[in-house]
Formats: sequence, structure tokens, C-alpha cells
Amino acid sequence: MQWWCSASGKPWTWDPQYYVGVWLVVAVLAVAFHALSRRARALGESRLVYWGGWSAVGLVWQVLDWPIGPLAAGYLASAHAVQFLSLALVAPPLMLLAVRRPVAASMTNMGGEGAMHRALEFVTHPVVAGVVFNLVAITTHVPAVVDALMPTQAGAFVIDLAWLAGGLVLWWPVIVHAPRRPWFSVPVAMLYLFLATLFHTGIAMVMLIREFPMYGIYELAPPWPVWSPLEDQHLAGGVMELAGAAVIFGIITVMFFRWSGGVSGEAAPPAPPAPPAPPRD
Amino acid sequence: MSLEPAVPRPSFTLTDTRGLPFEFAKETRGLLTFLFFGYTNCPDVCPVHVANVAAVLRRLPFEDQRKARFVFVTTDPGRDSLPVLRRWLDQFDASFIGLRGEDAEVARVMSAIGLPPAVRSVAGPDGRYEVGHPATVIVFTADDSAHVLYPFGTRQIDWAEDIPRLLRVRPRTGD
Repeated sequence: MQWWCSASGKPWTWDPQYYVGVWLVVAVLAVAFHALSRRARALGESRLVYWGGWSAVGLVWQVLDWPIGPLAAGYLASAHAVQFLSLALVAPPLMLLAVRRPVAASMTNMGGEGAMHRALEFVTHPVVAGVVFNLVAITTHVPAVVDALMPTQAGAFVIDLAWLAGGLVLWWPVIVHAPRRPWFSVPVAMLYLFLATLFHTGIAMVMLIREFPMYGIYELAPPWPVWSPLEDQHLAGGVMELAGAAVIFGIITVMFFRWSGGVSGEAAPPAPPAPPAPPRD
Repeated sequence: MSLEPAVPRPSFTLTDTRGLPFEFAKETRGLLTFLFFGYTNCPDVCPVHVANVAAVLRRLPFEDQRKARFVFVTTDPGRDSLPVLRRWLDQFDASFIGLRGEDAEVARVMSAIGLPPAVRSVAGPDGRYEVGHPATVIVFTADDSAHVLYPFGTRQIDWAEDIPRLLRVRPRTGD
């Protein structure tokens, strides 16, 4: 029995497969999200944002589990592209939006102390976050890396989790606003999103224009009856290019109008509760 | 995978998908010829191998396409009737040649090229079975010899690099 979806080389079947590792990861994610989102509701987060976050958890489950998970792992680059978009660009902002208040409050309560705070402060710095996201996006699309990792469960697991982690890191500075960085205004955040996702667009372009399939695992996989590996690769590039651009520019547009309408402050969560004052002697 | 010594283009006659005898050596002499033994119920190797060659041949200039033939010999004549063979090959390229013969005839041809014979698995309760066969495409060049075998796993990019070189092989002088 497989614990994670990987390229098996066997012909595709519509008989459902079970992946215990996927269920475990989604369960851990759901428990953590449940705890944080309940606190967010108590801090006044809207019902819409709360359910948006749960939809994102559901989306993560759907794209990791059968059928999208195994299709993406060993049969269709286009399913892999859907997985990438979902894990890196769609689910993270929805989840972060739903938990940003308690997360920001926790960071404030850390008072800038502790290794955890310092690590989060470093990795969520916009420059570092942008570099981390691009390193993940580029490395996990290099054909030699994909062909080496996807046939193994551990390798496929690393790629999937790297996308989710990379997405959370990318979106953190824009959504969580903690630690506070006064220079990271809405226009700067818009520019950050645009620049940080440029390379991702480049990867999609390469997939679109290549004359031959880039990835051996998809080219040599048991055939998919509907389209050829090259058509599948072009579809994958199109999905990454168009759907990715739609997500990024959609969010940039919303940010712009909220900011230009003078309500840009609404994008930021309300100030977290102040840490308890130290007792005076 | 290089063949040392080169394998001469074999002479054999099997039935093509029109039901006519196809004399392999005569019909393909001097042409770049891809010879593959497989079967249409093959779930993985055959369709991928054939599709990859087809994808690259389609991109060749018309003049080069005319100098190339793809010949598919079924190792499962029990299920691969001539119409079945034709329909299956048409998915890849209508110009691909399908040949059928009795098991013993096909085994003789494979042996002449130095390939092991196809082996049929025991049929399951539903009557389905698989056929083990060499997963290699043998390529005969214009000098009527095969110098190289292409195993399963050969990518389209590899074919795209090699086919123009294979097309440049000149016919043997004195023929």
C-alpha cells in the first residue's frame, strides 16, 4: 500500500486508491487550522473568511488525494500544475487570511523574543520569502529533479509539502502583517507579489513553448487516452500561466482598489491585543 | 544501444493490414525503417514507444518523412486481427505499417534479428493475458543494416536528435 501518491508506471485506473500519509497530513493541517481559526472567530474574524479558510483546507486535501494526487504524481503534468497552483497560490492565502489575527497576536506576544519568533521574522521578511518561494518553484520544476523525486513516495511528499510551505511563506508578508514592517505598504506589497511570481510565469512559458515533453515521468507514463504528453505539458503551462496570473493579478487588483479607495487599512488585521504590561515594582 | 556487429535487414514476409503479403526487405530497402514487435493490448510500453516515434517523425520535413517507415509486427495475432491492428496504428500515424503472422513465423523473424521470442502469460479468469516482448525499436538505415536499438525509455528529444543522423547514413556502395 502506498502512503503518498508517486509515479508507479502502472496504467491509470479509476479504482480509488488510499493514501494514509495524505490523510495524516491533512488531519494535522485541519487540527491546527481548527485551533487557530476558532481563536480568529473569537477575535472577530468574519464567517466568510473563516469558511474560506476551511475551503482551502479542503482544497489541499482534494489535490493531494486520489484522483488528482496520483494523476499529478505519475500521469499528467496538467494535474501537477493544478496541484502547484492550489498548494502554492490558492490555499495558503485563504488559510492565512482566516488565521491572521491569532497568528499576529501570537507573534506580538512573543515580544520579539525566542528562536521561533526570530526564525519567523527572518523567513517572512519579504525579500527572503520571495527568494524562498522562487527557489522552491524553480527547483521543483527542474526536469531532472521532478524525474528523480516523483517516482518515490518520499520525493513526491517533499515536492507537495515544499509547495504548501513555499506558498505560506510567499503570502505571509502580504496577509499576516506580523512582524510589523511599516515600509511594506500596500503598493510595495503589490510590487512584491508581482516580482515574486515572475519566475513562476517564466516556468509556465518554458512549458508552453517547448517542442518536446520536458518530464520523462509524464512522457513515458502509461498513456492517457485524451491527450498526448506534449499537449498535456502545454495545458500545464497554460494552467500555470493563465490561472496563476488570474490569481496574482486578481489579488493585486483587489489590493489596489482597496488601497486607492482609501480603505487600505482594512487589508491589515486589527491590531493584536497588547501583551500584558510588566508588573511595576 | 549499439549493435556490434550490425544486423542486416532481414527478409521475411508477413500480412499487412490490407491483407496483402508484405515483403519486408523488398518494401523497405534503402529506407530508414523502425521495426517494433508488440501488441495492441499492451498497457504501457507499446503505445508510449510508438507514440514517441510518431511524434518526432511528424515533425520531420516531408522529404525526410518519405524516407522513413515504421513497421509494427504484432506478437499477439490471436487478438490483433488486421482491422484491430489498423485502428490501433491509426491513432499514431495512418502511414505506419502493421504486420501479422502466426506465432511461429513471428518468432522466426525475431530470432533472425537476435531478439528473444514473445511470451504469453497465463490468462486470468476473465480470459485476459499479457504478452512479454522485447521493448526495443530496431532501426535499419539506408545501408540496410541496424546499428542501434532503442530501448523503452527513449525520449522524444533523443529521437529528435538521432533520426536526422540516422537519415544521413548512406546506402552501401555497389548495391
